[in-house]
Amino acid sequence: MHHAQIDRISYQDSPIHRLDGRIKLACVLIFSVFVISLPATSVSILACYAIWPFAVLVVAGVPISFVLKHILIVSPFIAVLALSSLLYDKAPVIATFGPWRWETTAGVLRCFSICGKFIITMTALVGLVATTRFSDLLAAMAKLGVPHLLVVQLGFLYRYIFMLIDRGYHVLRARAGRKFRNLGFADELKTTAAIAGSIFIGSIDLAGRVNMAMQGRGFDGRFHRLTEMRIAGADYLFAATLTLYLVALQFLGRVF
Amino acid sequence: MRTRLGRSGFYAGLVKLIVFIRAASERSLKMHMANELLSVPVAIGTLGTAAAGLGLICHKAKSLITSDRFALMGIMGAFVFAAQMVNFQLPLMPGTSGHMVGAVLLAIILGPYAGAIAISSVVIIQCLVFQDGGLLALGCNIINMALVPTFVGYWMYRLFVNAQPSQWRLYLGSIIACVVAILAGAVLVPIEAAVSGVLRVPFYTFLITMVGVHIVIGIVEGLITAAVLVYLRQVRPDIIAECVVNSVRFSKGVLYMTLITAAIIVGAGLSHLASSLPDGLEWSYAERPDEPDFEPIISNESHAVAAVEDFQSRYSALPDYTIRAGAFGQSAPVETVEAGAGWQSFAAVFGSGATMGLIWLGAWALRKKNGGQNAPRSN
Amino acid sequence: MAGAVEIENFSYDYPDGTKALVDINLSITHGEKVALIGPNGAGKSTLLLAMSAFLKGTGKISIDGIGATAKNAKKIRSLLGLVMQNPDEQLFMPTLFDDVAFGPMNMGLDEGEVRSRTTDALKTVGLEGMERKPPHHLSGGQKRSAAIATILSMEPKIITMDEPEASLDPKTRNKLNRLLKSLSQTLIIATCNMDFAAGLCERAILMDEGRIIADGGASKIMSDAKLMQTHGLEVAAVFSRITH
Repeated sequence: MHHAQIDRISYQDSPIHRLDGRIKLACVLIFSVFVISLPATSVSILACYAIWPFAVLVVAGVPISFVLKHILIVSPFIAVLALSSLLYDKAPVIATFGPWRWETTAGVLRCFSICGKFIITMTALVGLVATTRFSDLLAAMAKLGVPHLLVVQLGFLYRYIFMLIDRGYHVLRARAGRKFRNLGFADELKTTAAIAGSIFIGSIDLAGRVNMAMQGRGFDGRFHRLTEMRIAGADYLFAATLTLYLVALQFLGRVF
Repeated sequence: MRTRLGRSGFYAGLVKLIVFIRAASERSLKMHMANELLSVPVAIGTLGTAAAGLGLICHKAKSLITSDRFALMGIMGAFVFAAQMVNFQLPLMPGTSGHMVGAVLLAIILGPYAGAIAISSVVIIQCLVFQDGGLLALGCNIINMALVPTFVGYWMYRLFVNAQPSQWRLYLGSIIACVVAILAGAVLVPIEAAVSGVLRVPFYTFLITMVGVHIVIGIVEGLITAAVLVYLRQVRPDIIAECVVNSVRFSKGVLYMTLITAAIIVGAGLSHLASSLPDGLEWSYAERPDEPDFEPIISNESHAVAAVEDFQSRYSALPDYTIRAGAFGQSAPVETVEAGAGWQSFAAVFGSGATMGLIWLGAWALRKKNGGQNAPRSN
Repeated sequence: MAGAVEIENFSYDYPDGTKALVDINLSITHGEKVALIGPNGAGKSTLLLAMSAFLKGTGKISIDGIGATAKNAKKIRSLLGLVMQNPDEQLFMPTLFDDVAFGPMNMGLDEGEVRSRTTDALKTVGLEGMERKPPHHLSGGQKRSAAIATILSMEPKIITMDEPEASLDPKTRNKLNRLLKSLSQTLIIATCNMDFAAGLCERAILMDEGRIIADGGASKIMSDAKLMQTHGLEVAAVFSRITH
């Protein structure tokens, strides 16, 4: 399953993996802001912005083809909306590229802009998640001020997601083994509700026993955390590199 | 030199495309917002609103949720993921399957505060782990899919369904609650996109599409939610009884007044928004002989957007083309700003490509030299 | 010195009225290794829960002299640690370190003490170096060991276990056996696997339908073919060789 693969990749080792989660999170946010704020008229500079997430992934040892395939799977909604620009923006423009002149509509270029930004910001996000263990990401979020209750919630959710998804797959396979045709809508609904309901009840019982395990180890309502995060020189270097890079890109095309 | 794709190759590609679209559309039925639909101010504004909302809810929830429900909230979130995998054939659309979203069910079972926190965490995990929705759009997604549907769904449900409902009432209440809840969230998407001004889809078209699709989703959601509640009532009545005990008190009169006021505000706001926003820079309408009054209306109100775009294209980095504000009504294509810009664009793209190639080669060479690093860490 | 576990006339009914435990009387001294055997539904798990002060029944349960009531729950659970049947339910934190450190941190120990206890516990079960792994990356056998580590770090006097050997392959089962043999704590192990029990415990308590049927030397009880079969169990291989 590809989602479990990102989880495994995040446990590898590389200079990027060793960076502090807070720095990486802040960098992805700032980078995304810069990319999104590009006007639709600047399409070719997206290629320059693409260098950063590409470099991060290469240094981190994350396979690029895997990332692109992964992004492709979540792209349909944005693809449809990007394509809609073709329909609705018919301002005629001439774009020049090297020695070529191209008479087209602003919608086409806007479509390229949206798709390009999507790929770049998504790749940056994958760069964050594939190089940071989820527990470290949670700790980063907690340190950055996310409410305690939400951090606890995310921790439990992440811990039990894969288990429940596997349970879901088992149940679906069991249904596939016994259902050979489409029942009427009412019966489909009833069986689906029964399946969802049984997973639900299993979840409630699981939660009850987990709660018992917590009580059994003396839980009194407060999660205690040990101090573990430190910002090191490498983190400053990473942040500084990104800053220089973004500043340089601002001058590109305006100076010469 | 021309190459001809063999017939079989073409059909194989087509089949692959169809399979991909089907597989992908099963996921995209969720329609999380992406970064690219938003402008930076809107993204930051919604991130701030969502953060404030979640902060308030967590604060309020501290007194409502006892510590022995922490595990339950988390696992219920995981349940939502599992439930979204269980699909079934939709009656009128052959080949399409529907599945439940789960926001309203969780709000009913856990209460609106715990439900909102649980679904928000689901949206966050979907963004981070599964890349469903962008990081900058997280604020919007949390508001649209977690905060609004859980509270709206909970209140609507409680309005219609009392403590011991008959099966009819349960189904009706669930459907109404889910439709209203999901629509409330879905309607925000075109609004957020329109305020951002990035998409060129006309507001009304976008709105009607979203409303139409989500009414169907809402009805399906309502049916499954009701069916699950009925099933639970039969098999584990103790769980249902606990929901009733845990429910949040509120006054029905206040709720009715709030709903009516909200409906009036939303209705007025929507019509104002729709009329004051340009329906895209509709160049194609600039020459509609059947409606000679059309042009002035568009050019008056589009000036602001056009002026911003003009400014951006003059001073932005490396513009590839410009849209002139004064070019309304012209049917000729517009020239780009500088003739040299074309070569700059060329340099940007090929320069970047070369840089990336170099980086990749460098890393590959380094890896060869080190004899395969990137093995998993020992701990 | 008080006994490790003293139970007097303890009974417990489920919320729907069925009798789970009926008039339990037993006494376990410190250092004993006791096998709690019986068929499914005999009440073994329920008895373990009662010992950890999770159930409110009639009668008296004392752990190391302290009554196992809701009021003393935290104290009881620092003296007696329960390793549950499903390790996935016992490992609920994002990393192994967090899970094993959970107990000591709730006991209010300082950071240095927590860290040293956690490292020691992981070393005892053979999982040192895996502190930062998330539980869902562990194999079944590793999860079992990790679950035991989460209790060991609390340094309880008594450890209760609910079917620890279930769904383990023979190699892992033997490894578990060796680990449990090396522990100095009082052990009470609920199990349906007679071979596992025989290889570990010198005393056996046989339960059926919520009652204690027999209580005595493991070899004597578990080699009694008639007794075993009447209560839905089988004679351990090691004993069947003796009797034949």
